[in-house]
Amino acid sequence: MTTTTATKPPRATGTSRWLKQNRGRLALAAFFAFVVFSALFTMDTNDWLITIIRGLAVGAITFLVASGLSLIFGLMDVLSLAHGEFYMLGAYVGWTIYVRPDTFLDILTPVALVLSALALLPLWRHVASRWPRGKWPRIITPIVVGLAGLAIVLFVFAKFPLSIWDLEVYTDTPINNAVALDQGVQEVPPPAGFDGISPLVGIISIWLGGALLGLGIAGGVERKAEVTAPLAGRSTYVIAATVAILGLVVYTVNDPLTDWWYALGTTPRFFFALGITVVLGFGLGAFVEVVFIRPLYDRLLYQLMMTLGLGFIIIEVVRSVWGRPAFTMPKPAAFNGTGEGCPGEGLGGLFSGCSTIKIFDSRVRLYNEVFIILVGIIVLVGINLIIKRTRLGMIIRAGVQDSEMVEALGINVRRVFTVTFGMGVALASLGGVIAAPAVGLSPGMGATVLLLALIAMAIGGLTSFSGAAVGAVVVGVMQQFMIKFGSVGIPVPWMEEPFKPSPVLVPASVILLMIVVLLVLPHGLFGREE
Amino acid sequence: MSVLLDVRDINTYIGQFHILEGVSFEVPEGEIVALLGRNGAGKTTTLKSILGLAPPRTGDVVFEGKDLRGLHSFDVAAKGIGYVPENRAIFGALSVEENLRIAERSKGDLDRKSELIFGLFPDLKRLINLPGTNLSGGQQQMLAVARALVPDNRLLLIDEPSEGLAPVLIEQMMDAIMQLSDETTVLIVEQNFIVASRLAQHYVIIEEGTSVVSGDMEDLVNDDDTIRKYLGAA
Repeated sequence: MTTTTATKPPRATGTSRWLKQNRGRLALAAFFAFVVFSALFTMDTNDWLITIIRGLAVGAITFLVASGLSLIFGLMDVLSLAHGEFYMLGAYVGWTIYVRPDTFLDILTPVALVLSALALLPLWRHVASRWPRGKWPRIITPIVVGLAGLAIVLFVFAKFPLSIWDLEVYTDTPINNAVALDQGVQEVPPPAGFDGISPLVGIISIWLGGALLGLGIAGGVERKAEVTAPLAGRSTYVIAATVAILGLVVYTVNDPLTDWWYALGTTPRFFFALGITVVLGFGLGAFVEVVFIRPLYDRLLYQLMMTLGLGFIIIEVVRSVWGRPAFTMPKPAAFNGTGEGCPGEGLGGLFSGCSTIKIFDSRVRLYNEVFIILVGIIVLVGINLIIKRTRLGMIIRAGVQDSEMVEALGINVRRVFTVTFGMGVALASLGGVIAAPAVGLSPGMGATVLLLALIAMAIGGLTSFSGAAVGAVVVGVMQQFMIKFGSVGIPVPWMEEPFKPSPVLVPASVILLMIVVLLVLPHGLFGREE
Repeated sequence: MSVLLDVRDINTYIGQFHILEGVSFEVPEGEIVALLGRNGAGKTTTLKSILGLAPPRTGDVVFEGKDLRGLHSFDVAAKGIGYVPENRAIFGALSVEENLRIAERSKGDLDRKSELIFGLFPDLKRLINLPGTNLSGGQQQMLAVARALVPDNRLLLIDEPSEGLAPVLIEQMMDAIMQLSDETTVLIVEQNFIVASRLAQHYVIIEEGTSVVSGDMEDLVNDDDTIRKYLGAA
């Protein structure tokens, strides 16, 4: 019998032990404090302050992407390289709901019908598991059925009355739609009708197409199963029915709903868009996890390739739907006030609705700097509460360490994976919608944020949620300081001219910071050793 | 006396390696059965095969008359099988209470079972708010067993409960497992033959992935030849 009693090194007393254990972190904190305070002596106090605030705003956006990445990576060991694109897609979808709610309402009906059919996946799995057992039928049947479903969906989709912008006609491009909303001259687009197909046929056939698609997916995913899958629970049918009814209701009241929505101010429209995009992001994430990630568990390289490819597909879809040129998202009125009493003064200015407020003689933009940081803090606190206080969070914390044991306790880990992936994508979409009014929209916006988020994750320790938050703030502040130094310059004693980092050095400085952190602390700031 | 668990000629592969080459035995309800055999014989893999963590490629595992084939391990566990793995698998980021709470299958399981659990392991009550990482090896082992007791499990799979424990703690653990067997059925893997022979009523010997002998523990204790042949010196 082997005896392995855990031997611990002799314990030093409180403070000195703490110092010893945390010397790497302390050294880095000292270094970071040195950078920040030396900047205070070379910069104007106002410049310095505003740089930190901007850094926090960049950090908040980075955090929204990095937090999802680290949740997913910690629990599932999946590094989602499509996360930057989920962020970008979130921005575009949010823009569309905000600027063109009619398009969103039009498209909601067919999408809801297809989703309702897909939500019956457990039922389709049950059906698919009764298919012929031979090798070839098992492979070919789902592909044929799935492609047939996809063909029907695409065909009927084109017949649905969708009024989307016309990329070819300049006056109807997304750029002009955004400008029109911003100037308050937007008109309600005329309602569109079905294109040579009876509405009843369209609605029924798109649902059936979705059902065939679901059947194909179920057959493909469960190809190896040798047993008859259990029948779906009641909740599956309830969800499917609810989604279908939602789609049909929206179809019947489409025109009055569109008029009502257009009559709303930009602020409620913005928050509607925000909420809906987050919900859609969750759904997209859950779908991606079930269909694309689940078959590839434990195959790290394939997952990387899958998510990378998914990202490219999303970029191309966005380019073909919204066009290549970058465009803007108007700020909601509550954050964009001008005129009498503006800019707001001090803390009271936070509630003035002015586009800028004055704090310590410097002007801070209410949306770009205050609102974004606020959202970042709310999400940080909210997710922390979920992780620390709820059963889901408890399972996530346990699963990060040992998901096999969690499973052995009788907990459906796959469902937790799906929810977590959905949460990650929802957070990225939230980041996209929040960032869009500040930085605009372009198909390339995801790549920049993904790089920052990955660096933030590496600095924070990959699987640590609070690490992702700290890493994101560090990355954001560092980046903003480098940008500011680019115009102010760093005075170097032995040089006549102050040293001005070129814009190329901005991303490089962040990567350099990551390298330094990882050299001192190979597991990042809050990472666990393996 | 009915059969709670029936393992029928299972063959399990891990990667390309054929680990179990025909393991069959029965676990009668309400009794303690010990899986014996040398290191690497396939005892732990047998437990994992039952749970579906290492699903058998052929053969059947029948629990309460139902075939478990094709079920995910969380479905298997939810049928009422508790697992205490060899490495204890205590969740370090969770407190002792959360380690117990996470095993609940319906709300309030822990509160209903707290008398039983803290009666068996009074130390845990004192440690209830400590994080799992701060526990000693013995405390982790107790917590691992306690965690398997939180839901109403019909069968407990316990892997090497005495490994790495001081003699005093081994006694305490054995007492606890004895008391448990009044409530549930136990399938235990144990290297320490003295411990196994005092606990279990039945035994199964696994040799190079195959179940070779099984029977009543009373007979094995007096059968020096079998002990020498399969378990080394007695």
